[in-house]
Amino acid sequence: MRISVQINGRTYAGDVEPRTLLSDFIRHQAGLTGTHVGCEHGVCGACTVQLDGEPIRACLMLAVQANGRALTTVEGLAGPGGELTALQRAFTEHHALQCGFCTSGFLMTADALMRRRQLDPAAPPLTEAEVRAELAGNLCRCTGYEGIVSAVLEALGTAS
Amino acid sequence: MKPAPFDYAPATSLHEALTLLTREDARPLAGGQSLVPMLNFRLARPALLVDLNPVEELARLEVAPDGSLRIGAMARQASLLHSVQVAAGWPLLADAVMHVGHAATRSRGTVGGSVAHADPKAELPVALAALDARFHVRSRERGSRTLRAAEFSSGPFTTALREDELLVEIEVPAPHAGARMAFAEHARTHGDFAVAGAAVVLAPGDHAAIALLGAAAVPVRVEAAERAARDGAAAPEVARLAAAGIDDAYRRALLTTLTERALRRVLAP
Amino acid sequence: MIGAPLRRREDARILRGETRYLDDIERPEMAHAAFVRSPFAHASIESISVPESAEGLVAVFTAAELGDAVRPFPVMEPAGTEVATSEAHPVLAAGEVRYVGQPVALVIARSRALAEDAAELVEVEYDPRPVITSARASERCLMRWESRAGDVEAAFAQAAHVVSGSYALPRLVAAPMETRGCIASHDAGSDLLTVWCSAQDTHRPLEQLAHILRRPESAIRVIVPDVGGAFGSKGVVAPEVAAVAAAAVRLDVAVKWTEDRLENLLAASQGRGIEGDLELALDADGRMLALRARLWSDLGGYLLTTTPIPPRTAATLIAGCYDIGVADVTVVGAQTHKVPIGPYRGAGRPDAAYMLEALVDEAARQTGIDRVELRRRNLIRTFPHTTPTGLQYDSGDFERCLDLALQLAAANPDEDAACARGTGVALYVERAGGAFESAEIELLSGGRFAIASSSSPHGQGHDITFAQIAADRLGVPVELIELRFGDSATTPAGVGTFGSRSVAMAGSAVAVACDELVERARALAAEVGLGAEPAVNWTALAQAADAPLRAEATFRSANVFSSGAYAATVSIDRATGALTVEHLAAVDDAGILINPLLVHGQVVGGAVQALGECLSEEAVHDEDGQMRSGSFLEYGLLTAADIPPIVTGEVQTPSPLNPLGAKGAGEGGAVGALPAVANAVTDALGGVYVAPPFTAEKLWRALHDEAAGPR
Repeated sequence: MRISVQINGRTYAGDVEPRTLLSDFIRHQAGLTGTHVGCEHGVCGACTVQLDGEPIRACLMLAVQANGRALTTVEGLAGPGGELTALQRAFTEHHALQCGFCTSGFLMTADALMRRRQLDPAAPPLTEAEVRAELAGNLCRCTGYEGIVSAVLEALGTAS
Repeated sequence: MKPAPFDYAPATSLHEALTLLTREDARPLAGGQSLVPMLNFRLARPALLVDLNPVEELARLEVAPDGSLRIGAMARQASLLHSVQVAAGWPLLADAVMHVGHAATRSRGTVGGSVAHADPKAELPVALAALDARFHVRSRERGSRTLRAAEFSSGPFTTALREDELLVEIEVPAPHAGARMAFAEHARTHGDFAVAGAAVVLAPGDHAAIALLGAAAVPVRVEAAERAARDGAAAPEVARLAAAGIDDAYRRALLTTLTERALRRVLAP
Repeated sequence: MIGAPLRRREDARILRGETRYLDDIERPEMAHAAFVRSPFAHASIESISVPESAEGLVAVFTAAELGDAVRPFPVMEPAGTEVATSEAHPVLAAGEVRYVGQPVALVIARSRALAEDAAELVEVEYDPRPVITSARASERCLMRWESRAGDVEAAFAQAAHVVSGSYALPRLVAAPMETRGCIASHDAGSDLLTVWCSAQDTHRPLEQLAHILRRPESAIRVIVPDVGGAFGSKGVVAPEVAAVAAAAVRLDVAVKWTEDRLENLLAASQGRGIEGDLELALDADGRMLALRARLWSDLGGYLLTTTPIPPRTAATLIAGCYDIGVADVTVVGAQTHKVPIGPYRGAGRPDAAYMLEALVDEAARQTGIDRVELRRRNLIRTFPHTTPTGLQYDSGDFERCLDLALQLAAANPDEDAACARGTGVALYVERAGGAFESAEIELLSGGRFAIASSSSPHGQGHDITFAQIAADRLGVPVELIELRFGDSATTPAGVGTFGSRSVAMAGSAVAVACDELVERARALAAEVGLGAEPAVNWTALAQAADAPLRAEATFRSANVFSSGAYAATVSIDRATGALTVEHLAAVDDAGILINPLLVHGQVVGGAVQALGECLSEEAVHDEDGQMRSGSFLEYGLLTAADIPPIVTGEVQTPSPLNPLGAKGAGEGGAVGALPAVANAVTDALGGVYVAPPFTAEKLWRALHDEAAGPR
């Protein structure tokens, strides 16, 4: 089946089988390998991308289901010249990544969270416990989460 | 793990979905958060996957004129969290769904999908059982039928749905006046499936519902406990009655505690 | 530069999604591998029949097809250790299988999905055999090490107190977020086999593949791309990698194997899996006179290269931080029908600390001496110190670590009817460094430097850390230094990234190479009439030199010993048994720290792995040897919402064994947090010992055990 998917504002077309996972389409047919595959059963969150701005597990969606839809992946976060966003800079500042394999998933989750919060500027700031709960759908085996939580708290604070 | 091969057909209407489901070895694809892992593990090997996602009429979430909540089977789990009406009338659903997976699974996972998957550790079937939900089911050959929660869930990962039948809508009756609701669970790690849980609805003197997760392979309503709660018995006594039928000492203690915690929240001023 | 918390240069490309992990790499005409795996824990293979054809099928290999082209894994035989090298893991199963998931056939096809389809068509006839899952019950010993020092019988005979305990740690999976994998490609013309491998270093895959494939190392090139974590599980090449490499030599296409998560949980080497019976003899003042330890390691069905190491390490470290002169230690690696054991963060060090520190707390209970005071009376205070098991601790200040941990620990919790509260303290010592590593440095035009290191990173931050070391030695800004890792064709010889050794060994090699370069620079400066004081003018020298100025160094040393003290506060909900770790204080002595920001990350990361071990992680095998924790739905990794407050502190006692004074920081968190939390749980249970993971059900039953009475 021929599908056409918009990723980070660009259109990618390709032939897929019904069973081709969206994660594999993004990585091997669109060639965007910043999205990673950690489990293929929706638990680790490494494959998290955004569909119409909402975080989803790319490993749990069939590529055919993304036909005609718009996705954002980690490659779509930085500016046109590669300028890192405040969130990305906060990750470096707080040593929120070690091996980096889970990082793109966390960025997509946190970015979606930030944009959702921006829609409701009157809402009280999230507590650390609430941020941790929002990030609990992304697993990290290296960092113990400390730097990631600090980075997201900072980025949320800066954004508001 | 890559799935075994299958055919794929997107349904554009409920009628088309029901027709496609009459094919041999066809399965509906709802949010995919439970089914796709099984496809990836090659534990599920349908010949045809019928994609329900394009069927907009299945995704409605609204309050009917009779005050009941109508949850289309394809309503996303996240919609229960964002709905002002759900928060007002059936906060138990929002409470329960917060424990279901994470934002990235709730964005795609559906209410109907969770219920039809019937995982004994899932939160939504238990919350819906406590709310006396009714399940509207349809097939092309036999038309519509309606099942009560106890009729719908029949065993671990088993429902009364027949091969060609689709869960179309979940109807949750209007809440009793003055009813308060709470959900409590114990999970191993944050967002993990529940080891045990309790959903409580209480309008003192009028109505009580207590549904347990983890007491059996399906949600369990305990009448004796519900009567006691309705009649104003204290939380510890109600909780003791709720879990009394459980053999294993630990599971009984856990469910007693969780029921009591949910009750205390409901009874708190 | 040394001691500066510089941010990592490595991060920008990771944050932009510009990394190249193994599965991101595509080679022209690449085929894909899947494996037929044993569904039985123990069986003989009666027959294998492969499909004549299947869609996209390229080839099927079994042990019969590979024949003499391959031989089983090399197995390490550490000093004084009996190792049943005949039980080395074969590449593909030859006639029998000894664990569920053992690779039996390799199927190569045009895509991974097609390879999995074809694998389902391979028919294997098995004849099941009896399954052994308990180390103590096993009659087959694959590894054994013993150590006796002093008159143990006399010490126990004259002891005022004899304390004993039996302890167990279940198996764990390493579960790095990136699974294992490789791409193998053989060039017929040059007979060069190139293997891209998600590995901890180039050296061990190179050495192991050379042995297994019966090829000279010069005919193999190992390239390690970006690696998404390892924690010990990517040290030895996977048997699957060896099979794919062997197949690639026969085929004219590159072959990729990307392990999926189910394979990873099933068939990657597992960690821990040890039981111990320990006895401690003390005098009336609580001075430790002698220690007896008998350890059983649940080793698995075969030996992989480093399978004998973790149990032996546990045995050698069993006296920990205490001045015990007399000891009788035996460790037996028992054969069980499970996937083999391998190093997993800590690799025997947490095992030793866990058992010893639990025993010391038991001694405190029995003697009535305060558990901190009891420790103080027995701490090693002078260095170097030789243990009764033959290790030489080079440096440390155990008491200072203990004092600092107590200072950082949460205040003693109030009594609470709803919760059983407990506190625990534990010391640890860990063997780090050792063997050798190398570095090569070259002065480039413009006064920039290129360093090739024998070590490779999997998230530790080698790039910025080694750049800091070099910048310090050369007297130049960090920005001028580039590091290169991970290609056996272009990086120098070494041993590997494991065992908390990279700064002490590879970092020291960088330092020594830089010092050598400075020497040569000074000499050249004198020759060409450039001044070299106060600092070398590198830019001018680069221009003036006829040939690029270079230096290299191989740095070798004995092991260095890191140590630390951890203190934990826990509460157990009496009604549900749920454990909450309220607070963790972590003090580590890793010698001189190059980059404290990165060290902190290692400590917290390791501590959280230990918390996982305490709260929810366990590789569960049933009595038929079937893995019951075979996906992330069952194997409970901790999330961001499960982490308690962790406060860290450092003690920096320099090691005299390397120019940096460095020890190792990679594993301390995983080593120290486990015994501290375990001791806190035992304290909360009023002295009742429960093996980890401390699930709510276990703790509830311990609190409500009718036989023991209420607590």
